[in-house]
Amino acid sequence: MEELSELKLKLKNLNAEYARIREIAPEKRGEFGRELNAKKMAILEQIRLAEEAAMDVEVLPLDITAPCAANEKMPELYSCLMGSRHPLMVEMDRVVEIYQLMGFDVVESRQLDDEYHMFDSLNFAKEHPARDGYDTFRTEEGLIPPAHTSTMQHRVLKMYKDRLARGEDIAVVVPGRVYRNEDVNATHEHTFYQCEGVYVSESCTMGDMLGILREFFEKYYEQKLNIRTQPGYFPFTEPSLEFMIEKPKTLGGKKGDYLEMLGCGMIHPNVLKMAGIDPTKSHGFAWGGGIDRLVMLRYGLNDMRYFESGNLNFLREFK
Amino acid sequence: MKISLNWLKKFVRINVPDDELVRLIGARLVEVEGVIDESTKYNNIYVVRVATAERIPDTHLTLCQIDCGNVEVAGVEKNDEGLIQVVCGAPNVREGMLAAWIAPGAIVPASVHEDAPFVIGKRKMLSKYESNGMLAGADELDFGDDHSGITEIDPAMAKPGDLLADVFELCDLILDIENKSLTHRPDCFGMIGFAREVAGILGETFTETEYFQKTKAIYGSENSISVSIAGKDICSRYSAIVLTKHGEMKKKYLTYMDTILSKSGMRPVDAIVDVTNYLMLLTGQPLHAFDYDKFVAVGGSDKPKIIVRLARAGEKLELLDGKEITLLENDIVITSNDVPVALAGAMGGKNTEIDENTRNIIIESATFSLYNLRKTQMEHGIFSEAITRFTKGQPPYQTLDVAEDAAAMLSDGFKVTAVADEYPHPEKEITVKILVAEINQLLGTEYADKLIIQTLENVGFGVKNHRGELTISVPAWRKDIHIKEDIIEEIGRLLGYDNIQPTLPRHMTANKNKMMILKSDIRETMKEFGANEVLTYSFVSERLLKKAGLDANNSYKIVNSISPELQLVRQTIVPSLLEKAYVNQKMPIDKFALFEINKVYRKEWGMDGENVPVEKMQMGFVVAERKNNETAYYKAKKFAEELLLKFNIPVEFLPIKGKNADNLPFEEKRAAEIWSGEHYIGVVGEFKNSVKRNFKLAEFLAGFELDVDKILELLAPRKINNNFEIREKLDETVTTTGSYAEALAEMTKKYPNAEITPVGIYQPEDVKARNITFHIELMV
Repeated sequence: MEELSELKLKLKNLNAEYARIREIAPEKRGEFGRELNAKKMAILEQIRLAEEAAMDVEVLPLDITAPCAANEKMPELYSCLMGSRHPLMVEMDRVVEIYQLMGFDVVESRQLDDEYHMFDSLNFAKEHPARDGYDTFRTEEGLIPPAHTSTMQHRVLKMYKDRLARGEDIAVVVPGRVYRNEDVNATHEHTFYQCEGVYVSESCTMGDMLGILREFFEKYYEQKLNIRTQPGYFPFTEPSLEFMIEKPKTLGGKKGDYLEMLGCGMIHPNVLKMAGIDPTKSHGFAWGGGIDRLVMLRYGLNDMRYFESGNLNFLREFK
Repeated sequence: MKISLNWLKKFVRINVPDDELVRLIGARLVEVEGVIDESTKYNNIYVVRVATAERIPDTHLTLCQIDCGNVEVAGVEKNDEGLIQVVCGAPNVREGMLAAWIAPGAIVPASVHEDAPFVIGKRKMLSKYESNGMLAGADELDFGDDHSGITEIDPAMAKPGDLLADVFELCDLILDIENKSLTHRPDCFGMIGFAREVAGILGETFTETEYFQKTKAIYGSENSISVSIAGKDICSRYSAIVLTKHGEMKKKYLTYMDTILSKSGMRPVDAIVDVTNYLMLLTGQPLHAFDYDKFVAVGGSDKPKIIVRLARAGEKLELLDGKEITLLENDIVITSNDVPVALAGAMGGKNTEIDENTRNIIIESATFSLYNLRKTQMEHGIFSEAITRFTKGQPPYQTLDVAEDAAAMLSDGFKVTAVADEYPHPEKEITVKILVAEINQLLGTEYADKLIIQTLENVGFGVKNHRGELTISVPAWRKDIHIKEDIIEEIGRLLGYDNIQPTLPRHMTANKNKMMILKSDIRETMKEFGANEVLTYSFVSERLLKKAGLDANNSYKIVNSISPELQLVRQTIVPSLLEKAYVNQKMPIDKFALFEINKVYRKEWGMDGENVPVEKMQMGFVVAERKNNETAYYKAKKFAEELLLKFNIPVEFLPIKGKNADNLPFEEKRAAEIWSGEHYIGVVGEFKNSVKRNFKLAEFLAGFELDVDKILELLAPRKINNNFEIREKLDETVTTTGSYAEALAEMTKKYPNAEITPVGIYQPEDVKARNITFHIELMV
């Protein structure tokens, strides 16, 4: 309390100092004002902290080991009817489970990474315009909240490359949260989820990649699907493709209504080499696509912004 | 980028219907964002001859009788001589000329994409002259912005009564191409390159037609222009041709070139600029024209001395659009004897702009470092057709050819008097060796040698086959082909990925991810407990951290955040939940419990072995009610205890010692650290009064923050108690001034083989001691 009244006195004195501005030479008044303002801001901050501390002084301690307070009922959990899991997380689990049944291990993606994993290790040339396409955020240290789950590709390849020596294949999926510096609207979020897939073996083919992807989408949407591809460009795959499915009739699709679901391709030999895998002996494929879109299509949702809204009226729909 | 299908068809024989062609282009070359249908845009517009033209006195109008051949238009009467009357306001209308006539009932082409297209009618002018339709200018026909007069048509191309659309091939489909999907294909940013690919995907051999005339320009004797490139890797080749005026350029008639510029999204401007733009659309190579005399004057030399160099910081340049920019050290500039006259690849300078008095011009055809230009583009915000092409990395092989083509196209009015071509390190031909078997192996196909070779040759590769080993020479325009995989991509793409049979590789057994399973179990358990899972952003504001009592300096800071609300990487989950608790309490929802499991980062944790920030998986939980007078602490503790019990982790609740990011929002007198043996798991409790006030939340409020990595480390399978036969049940009350934990410990000591649960705690008014009642079940 004493501290607070001292601070308030200080503030009063400081306010009085402003009057001195008339005695200061006009060209120095700006500097004078700035210094005074800085001091004032500092004191105001100290006052805020002191006031907050004062609010907490009166608080009574309690027995932290007890199950309840004296003369109160034993606390109870809420009814399970109120509970809900987040649809994105439930669906992410489903996605992962489908891949697990197909023989894929799971490694979760990081949420703060560096330029090396996000770009360099994926065969992006330094300063290449292709890096612009990802609209990445950066921290003061130059770290990157990843813009794609491919940020884990190099790590996964290194982590699993011993399998190749044992005559086994690498098959891993990487779910994770990714970030892009984008304006938010019904179909764009700066924060969303992706799932990456990586497969490396001595003999895998692009046909295998298309087969795995078709299998996945048919299991996820629980029906036969028409698939289509178109050429794409990613520095870390060669050849590169965009993978599309025809929107199923049961989900309101019309014939010829193709949706881009993910980017994919055969892993670029430079990416394998950088991870210590001999591209003349092994090759592989990789893909990555958004989970949010997948889920929106499944549930017929039309606005991505609900996912991170924390709105219980929305979330409690997902028991 | 816009591609006219009619123009495309000039270069390649197309043997499939248009919709199939569009599908194939999408499936095998590039993303087609949309198709603009212009097949009816020029309906009912005819070529006519102005038979008579009489000025209407005291007006700017001319009364014309036009000859439209055999065309009959409903509701339009012809006079005895078979002519139709039209009033025209253009100054250039004259007897004998061929013009474009928009018949009554037709839509003005420039307005077809507007909400309310403008339909031409029949009207009376000056209340006595009937005017049927209109004679159209370039702006109305959507061939530019010229409104100075009506468009004149070359009698060598058309006769009265011809449909304008037939003469200029205007019944067209325009493809809208997603540029991003061609980032690596500078060659496809010109019609020739695009057509070559289309030939390839249709299985046709592409031949460069004579349409692209490589007529060598005739050089004058005074070879007096010099080019030097000062700086490594900024400009791989710089070709320049000097043209001198020897006659008037005849820009009298509407040309096919005008229609191509318009369909490609550009605008006809003047004869010289149009030629440079047209050739860029054709070849992908941007050109620039300088006024020769201004160029020399600016540099103060007697002959043009072109120096390409990096800009010096602070140098200024006024661009063609009238803006003065301050150059940056990364920018490449074209200088006249060291004085900047153009921002290379981006825009020319005002000081060398060509105008109607220009006598001599310099045509520049060059390639610049895409890395420098990319920065220039971003820094100065210039997104022209030219820089779009340069930043894809145009190859240097054709600069001189294209400049010569420009000279040939301008030969009506200009002759070549000098040429310079600085190409210090000519590019070497690249060859790639690959086995046919390798191609089929990677794609999972069985394509025959012959088919593979033909497919490559169709798009300009040279192929030598030696028993299945192909030696492939890469054409100069393919800057993207270096390795085997690039060739495999060509084959897969040109023959259609859709033709590859999907297969499944051998199946393996996957290992479970324990963290994913744990999180899934937590989620399921919390749902059973009636809590709601939320997801909140990983980025928070400094304000939010302050409101929760956290130190913003412990957060990684985003330098290019969308807003201050999303500037700091969060250190814990709970503050984000407090924010969402407010949203829901306000709705109002009377009681709820929110939780989230996600990754957090703190600067104080430093870097891990990979030199990236240490990350932790944490769980946050907040319970909030509007109408509850009881002690919220015990509610949160109940959730935490029950959750950890599910994973068989025995815990103790100990006083908070020392401050950390986890416990900063919590009131230390009403919060506890959660420990299991020597392992810290997290913190549970009520929040500081200041935090409650800052988040505007009702009194009943508590939460916890748990270390999920630690839970994973400690979780144990549930042990089934074999000793479950109950011998005796009893209740016992202890009166104590000590803590509940102490009382419980005493009970446990007294009844070692028993299950002890609390029943209630009672404290009479004005008495210090509490009565704690336990229920005890003694086991056999």
